[in-house]
Amino acid sequence: MTDSMKDTEQREMRRSVAAFLDRHAPMTAVRAAMTSADGYDRALWRRAVDELGVTALLVPERLGGLGLTLSDAAVVVEEFGRRLVPGPVLTTLAATAYLAGCGTPEADEVLTSIAELGLSVSVAVNGGTNVVHGAAVDLLLVDTGDDVVVASDVVARHRVALDQTRNLADVEFSGGRRVGGAGLPGPLWTLLAAESAAAARTCLDLTVEYLKTREQFGRPIGSFQALKHRCADHLVAVEGAASTAWRATREPGEVPAALAKAVCTDVFFAVAADSVQLHGGIGFTWEHDAHLYLKRAKANQLLFGSSRALRDLVGTRVGL
Amino acid sequence: MELTADDEKFRAEVRAWLHANLHGDFADVVGTGGPGHEHEALDRRREWERRLGEGGWTGLGWPQDKGGRNLSLARQVIFHEEYARAGAPGRLGHMSEQLVGPTLLAFGTPDQQRRFLPGILDGSVLWCQGYSEPGAGSDLAGVRTRAVRDGDRYVLDGQKVWTSLAHVADWCFVLARTSGTRHAGLSYLLVPMDQPGVTVRPIAQLTGTSEFNEVFFDGAVTAADNLVGEEGDGWRVAMATLAFERGVATLGQQVGFARELDAVVERARSNGALADPVLRARVVDAWIGLEVLRCTALRTLQSAGDGVPGLEGSISKLQWARWHRDLGELAVDVAGELVTDGPPYELTDAQRLFLYTRADTIYGGTDEVQRTIVAERLLGLPRERA
Repeated sequence: MTDSMKDTEQREMRRSVAAFLDRHAPMTAVRAAMTSADGYDRALWRRAVDELGVTALLVPERLGGLGLTLSDAAVVVEEFGRRLVPGPVLTTLAATAYLAGCGTPEADEVLTSIAELGLSVSVAVNGGTNVVHGAAVDLLLVDTGDDVVVASDVVARHRVALDQTRNLADVEFSGGRRVGGAGLPGPLWTLLAAESAAAARTCLDLTVEYLKTREQFGRPIGSFQALKHRCADHLVAVEGAASTAWRATREPGEVPAALAKAVCTDVFFAVAADSVQLHGGIGFTWEHDAHLYLKRAKANQLLFGSSRALRDLVGTRVGL
Repeated sequence: MELTADDEKFRAEVRAWLHANLHGDFADVVGTGGPGHEHEALDRRREWERRLGEGGWTGLGWPQDKGGRNLSLARQVIFHEEYARAGAPGRLGHMSEQLVGPTLLAFGTPDQQRRFLPGILDGSVLWCQGYSEPGAGSDLAGVRTRAVRDGDRYVLDGQKVWTSLAHVADWCFVLARTSGTRHAGLSYLLVPMDQPGVTVRPIAQLTGTSEFNEVFFDGAVTAADNLVGEEGDGWRVAMATLAFERGVATLGQQVGFARELDAVVERARSNGALADPVLRARVVDAWIGLEVLRCTALRTLQSAGDGVPGLEGSISKLQWARWHRDLGELAVDVAGELVTDGPPYELTDAQRLFLYTRADTIYGGTDEVQRTIVAERLLGLPRERA
């Protein structure tokens, strides 16, 4: 397929995911879901499985899936991410991306069930802590360093996360079945990068809208250079970040993925933190959504390896 | 960017030509020119411009009926990458080919195109840009150089500043006032440099060298048919030229950046700076920053097709200028060099990079002007003045 055909297809896909979320996951629903028992809306997840095919998206066609690529998955993740919709979409897509690359009979078997039954998946890459939606998923992939196993007899303890739009759990498990070797972090980093770049752009757009309408000293505060120049710098940073995510989805590999994750989450944090400041007092309220972006951004920076650690990893891998 | 087998064949062709010439007749110009070296080997680099023209390496993206080769963006990028990789000299024909050429293609009359494009393509005629003035820098619409119509010619009086290569250029494209104030009443004129009414004086820079000049017009003349666009329409024409300039941040430029970064890394490795965790973190961040530039350029190329570079140019300028300036600071921090290479004021490579990159965030539209452009035109934020 040519690039332009792919672009057209992805634009179409983005439109339908956006329409789906505009209909089923407005901000009021996001807020309701984040404090619910499961931490996300299971009915919405089910719809995403049925209508968007999120569990089948990256599963090869020979195993009953749609056989799409990581850059297609990024489109879905970006639309969920820019609205901060809670749920196991990102981890499920990252897990299926990883499994689709394993080529083992065990991985194929797991992929088949994920696609067929619409299973939600989470991943544990830092031992048993900070497992995204770990207390409310059907399947858990554990990265043990050299291998990845499907955990069995999982006991998960729900924690109250700093970022309430992405619940975390501590998990213990007593055994598991090996599905493949190392390589789970790559797609996780890549999709988290794509999510962060998209969320940063939305957060910036919301801030810019506010600066256009909020008036002080008799004029919109967005006309003041001290504020508008900061927004310009953020746009430059967001465009750069989005480009690293764009590359990572098209050139899978540890270095592009780690680099994109570090750059995109750092930029997202800078934008979200400044968004609180640029909103002034209202930005410090619970009612306003600015804090949801701030918390998601900080969590993304720290989740699955901190930005500094990943920058360090990139340096080591390229011989610095 | 997807490269075809034919693109790779093209790359081999470019590489072979550059190799043959830069290891043959022009071995002496390798590495000359460019920031900090712009004063070097001027005569030989003029000859090099002609050689490029003979080889068919100019006007790569121009339409064929105007003497260009109508090559794809991918192939233009390949040429610029290979050019930088080969250490070929800094182009004296940059403003000719990248700025005034495209402007003439867009706004010139068929007669102007016939008269001026061949000299740009064969490398025989060099151009400089007469925009900025002492009182019109970021606020370019404040241009005061006057051009008065006198029969079939214009007579110019005024002063331009920051004019790169004015001392070697044959022609200057000048933004001059033909009437009124501010944007209306400006006109875009092509003015020959070799005449009694034009005086060029070098400006001593903080680097100790001179790459920029002041240009004084004192009754300088040019034929009336050297007006590009309508009289009074110069602002629109000049802005288009600036957009070309802001858009030329190519992957080729980044090949040069990569060479500079490699030198910093090598230095950090050999003098132990890389063992310092803070300096190492800065080196790694510089490496990552260059990847960000590269990814952005690739993504922009992919999505833009062969369009005229526009507002994305401002984003790209802000992005690379800041990165490059930071690299200059890192270079001198890594080197830790407090003394120069000697009298009169011979800078080391690290010091040169450090000092020259201070200009990156100023020329071609300061960072501050670029930010305003990005904020108002891309983000739609309101203008400061009502």
